Amino acid sequence: MNVPPRALDYPDSFLDTVIPDESELTCGTKIEPGKSYGFFTDTTLCIGCKACEVACKEWNNLPADNLGLTGRSYDNTGDLGANTLRHVSFIEKIGHGEDRATEMAPFQSNWLMMSDVCKHCANAPCLEACPTGSIFRTEFDTVVVQQDICNGCGYCVPACPFGVVELSLDDGKAHKCTLCYDRLKGGLEPACAKACPTDSIQFGELNELFDRAGKRVEELHELGATDAYLYGAPDTPGATGGLRHLNAFFLLTDRPEVYNLPVAPTRASSRAAPSFLTGLAAMAGLTLAAAALMSNGRGRR
Amino acid sequence: MNKRLGHETWDGETYYGQPSVKPSPFDWKVAAYVYVAGIAGSSQIIATMADRLGDRRDESIVRNGRAVALAGALIGAPLLIVDLKTPERFYNMLRIFRTTSPMSFGSYILTGFGLFSSLTAAGHFMGERRRDGSRSGMRRVADMMQVPAAFLGAGMSTYTAALLSSTSAPVWSAAPEALAVQFGTSAMATAAAALSLGERMSGDPENCRRLDALAAVAAAGELVAAGLAERCYRVLGVEGTLNTGTLGNTYKIGALAVGLGVPLACHAINALSNRPSRGLSVLGSLALLAGGAMMRQAIFKAGNKSAERPEDYFRLTEPRPGSTPRRRVDRDIAARTMGLI
Repeated sequence: MNVPPRALDYPDSFLDTVIPDESELTCGTKIEPGKSYGFFTDTTLCIGCKACEVACKEWNNLPADNLGLTGRSYDNTGDLGANTLRHVSFIEKIGHGEDRATEMAPFQSNWLMMSDVCKHCANAPCLEACPTGSIFRTEFDTVVVQQDICNGCGYCVPACPFGVVELSLDDGKAHKCTLCYDRLKGGLEPACAKACPTDSIQFGELNELFDRAGKRVEELHELGATDAYLYGAPDTPGATGGLRHLNAFFLLTDRPEVYNLPVAPTRASSRAAPSFLTGLAAMAGLTLAAAALMSNGRGRR
Repeated sequence: MNKRLGHETWDGETYYGQPSVKPSPFDWKVAAYVYVAGIAGSSQIIATMADRLGDRRDESIVRNGRAVALAGALIGAPLLIVDLKTPERFYNMLRIFRTTSPMSFGSYILTGFGLFSSLTAAGHFMGERRRDGSRSGMRRVADMMQVPAAFLGAGMSTYTAALLSSTSAPVWSAAPEALAVQFGTSAMATAAAALSLGERMSGDPENCRRLDALAAVAAAGELVAAGLAERCYRVLGVEGTLNTGTLGNTYKIGALAVGLGVPLACHAINALSNRPSRGLSVLGSLALLAGGAMMRQAIFKAGNKSAERPEDYFRLTEPRPGSTPRRRVDRDIAARTMGLI
């Protein structure tokens, strides 16, 4: 990898100031308000080190949770939640019983790892559900919960088609990944992407990431990994049902369900109008029935 | 062997059976609110119809309907506020208005309904309708305020279905239209049942008969809507939670058999007989009221439970070869998705 020229301006190991636009040095992206940013998580590069989980907890000062062992491969984190904004899932493709593999092909064919995160959907169902305006779209096209406005109604929790948002019972507010809103404002790459040692998590300008991801899929197909595909890029699984695309999208090599992702998630708010209008039509019919009975329903007297 | 990683269709594999979506953090208070809001909203509609179209003998329906509407708003709002995890910020519900969020426009419906129902009830109990049929000033205010209250009452009766449908919980989202009809008809049936019990106490059997007829019409509609919803659940493969265990019994036996079958039978017998039975009318009304509560509770719990069943969610979100998505862009994606995986 080429060293960005500006890196030579900061030769010391310990600096007494923050490097302006540090993200240019760490991921080649300058962070400017008004542009779209996101994550491209390439699961073929993930080694399951959980550095992203640790970096996220450290930067966001999140408390520990789910202490203990789950018995689900190396996934002792459990799931995404109020205190877990990155979650590495481990899928051992080894089969069961008679089907259990005795030999394994090289190149991660039997062990899938994926660092899951809030998808920052283009049409975010959590945002569309939020009745207080606490969840908003930032100047970096990411979706963030404003903690000083959230009143803990919890409607964003079932609205999310990926089970990302959760209420914390410690403070009674909804929490999810902010795509390191504070770091972006300071010109820093998000903590998880910066910590990722294999560049499985790549942060960048969204269109650039889509291009890069498309090339990566072609490259993998040429290498023989023909099952690689994108999840959440425009016109791919995950970007369905009116969600348009996911700002945090993934490169997967097995069906989405294997990674606990739905193939064709939908935008929850798309059901609001049909449901409400049908209900009102039913009420109009019942009101007519009530009117008929009240005006001349008096029978024999 | 699992050499070929991609499958044409989903083979039922989940991530260690872990949920893919999160259940709502709502508890029984929200289910109770759905019930109370329905009775209150529809009571206001019945009272308005009785006031506009009825005569002097319908005064007790008007009075009771307005009282039930006010009581529902007074009980419902605190139920919702207490269910917030940061209740001291309840006023943020009116910070913005959002048409994509039934929780948001529902908050306005509840606020408006509460306001107009209070004015209606206040005007009603302070004013009077004189023996010659003329109305005092306060009573005229009440009769004006009841119109917006009744319109908002229609919203109160049914917006809660839109609220549950606009989520990713499999059972709630599987049948948005049928669920709305189910909630709306149940609201009207329970309100008519409650007012019929009131008439039974003040002793006008003729009013009871008309309210029972309205309740029966609404209950019949609810039965049809429940059938349509059931068909959606089956087609989308999310019927599991409402079919088995305690929840299945609450729904099938409690909400449908007792809550709809019994009152329909009672009211039908009364309608056909020459001497309508007082006991059957009361029994039918009580069964409707109990059934409405059980229906809300069962649907509410089933939604949360189905969210914890990844197989339900994955079946629901699987693109179906037979069905074509409504939007063109989604059809394109579906076509591509089927070829891709």
